Amino acid sequence: MTQHLTNETLQDYIHSDLSPQEDAQVYTHLEQCADCRAEYDAENTIGESLRAYAAETERELPATLKAAIWSEIRSARPSFWSRFTASFRPAMALPVAAVIAAGVYFGVTNMGSPASPSIEAAYYLQDHAAMNDTTPFSDRGGAPANLESASVSATDQQSVAIEATTYTADASNR
Amino acid sequence: MRRTGNVAGAILAAAVLTAAAFSRASAQENATQLLRDAAAAYAKTSYIGQVQNVDYGSKRADAVMFRIEHRAPNTTRRWYLAPESLYGDSIISIGDTSYNVDTHHNRILVVKDDAIDDQVAQDENFGLLLHNYNAVLAPDDNVAGRRALSVVLVNKYSGQSVMRISIDAQTKLVLAKERYASSGAVSHQMRIEQIRYTNSLPAQLFSIPGNYPRVEGPQHGLSSSDLPAVIKTAGFKAVGPTYLPGGFVPVAGDVSDIKGVRTLHLLYSDGLRTVSLFENAKGAAVDLGAYTAHSTSVRSNAAQYVEDGSTTLLTWAQGNLHLALVGELTRTELVKIGSSVSS
Repeated sequence: MTQHLTNETLQDYIHSDLSPQEDAQVYTHLEQCADCRAEYDAENTIGESLRAYAAETERELPATLKAAIWSEIRSARPSFWSRFTASFRPAMALPVAAVIAAGVYFGVTNMGSPASPSIEAAYYLQDHAAMNDTTPFSDRGGAPANLESASVSATDQQSVAIEATTYTADASNR
Repeated sequence: MRRTGNVAGAILAAAVLTAAAFSRASAQENATQLLRDAAAAYAKTSYIGQVQNVDYGSKRADAVMFRIEHRAPNTTRRWYLAPESLYGDSIISIGDTSYNVDTHHNRILVVKDDAIDDQVAQDENFGLLLHNYNAVLAPDDNVAGRRALSVVLVNKYSGQSVMRISIDAQTKLVLAKERYASSGAVSHQMRIEQIRYTNSLPAQLFSIPGNYPRVEGPQHGLSSSDLPAVIKTAGFKAVGPTYLPGGFVPVAGDVSDIKGVRTLHLLYSDGLRTVSLFENAKGAAVDLGAYTAHSTSVRSNAAQYVEDGSTTLLTWAQGNLHLALVGELTRTELVKIGSSVSS
């Protein structure tokens, strides 16, 4: 490598994003090229300052060594035990999912208030006012709760279809 | 001769009494017709003006002032002038859809309310009002420089005046309203000032601003008067009050899922005043954080109530249900209704 390193290559080198071969070439080049070394030092200053505390307590491995280790890890063949336990994962997933689902179900239905959401008072006031709109001389234009507070949005609310619509209102006073 | 005089006197007295009775009936009829005309005037009259609404709670009052531009039948823009927290906000209502232009949160909340166009329900409620209230003509008034005819609605059960309505003598538009609590105190006041009737309101006045994102607000669907069907849809054993103030009957209901909590809403009305009962079986309490909550009790259950202007919200837990009563009645009346709630 006789040409100077590009800034992009330096950045990739700093972040260990190069392949092991490229990483080794850059490492070698930096050992020999003062200009690129200066550029590398400048780019690295910010990162170094951020890692200053860590640098005081632990030693950074050379990038080439790190790259080699990662390469070894990626190409390593799983052990017999790993493959053996992996074959059981689908079979174990079902009972684990069942236990989680049961926990969620009983948690929601039986644990009561702690798991239940609260409903903002503004919602009740708005819904009461809305149903009031059919009342003669109802008060339109009062303090609008929709503007005054973070009101219930459509995503919080879903209306439920009523099956029958025939009029059977009991006119007697209960 | 003396006998003839007695007969003549009796006939005269009967005639006077009959005329008085006819006069009372005629006045009643006039007041009722005036109310009908007033209820219909909003959809027939275009105008601009300034409205002041004041809600009186037990210890404080909340006032709102806005400019209104109304083009009949159903297009309205309200510009809020006060309080300062609402200044600059506006609501543009077109039919059953309202666009709440919230300049403080840079958004437009779109709210659909089918009840506004529910003429059948409106007619039924008007019938309920006439069933429970006597409309009595009161001395003329002057509102915004215009002669106003006044009607007082007197509750047939309690004999109390519940509302006084001042109606423009010429256009029949409601220019002012006063609602009274059961104690006789004024609980709500509405008054139009600087009104001007005009049929030349340009459509641009009601155009929705395009510079804010629209957020879908709560959708208030058409409620059903088939309460058994509504209660069946709730999916839990619902409860209801065995006591209601005189003239109140169940009139409507709906079921909504709020944050996944199925909530039953039953509305009771006497044609003028209303009470809502909300209930859910998911243990979802009412979040009163935005209000000043006070403690009370409903039978032996701890309860809380808040006041929002003249509206009171009372909430408590009973068995596996969380309940809330909302209405323009006093806290004492709501507690009495709540105490009668049973399955």
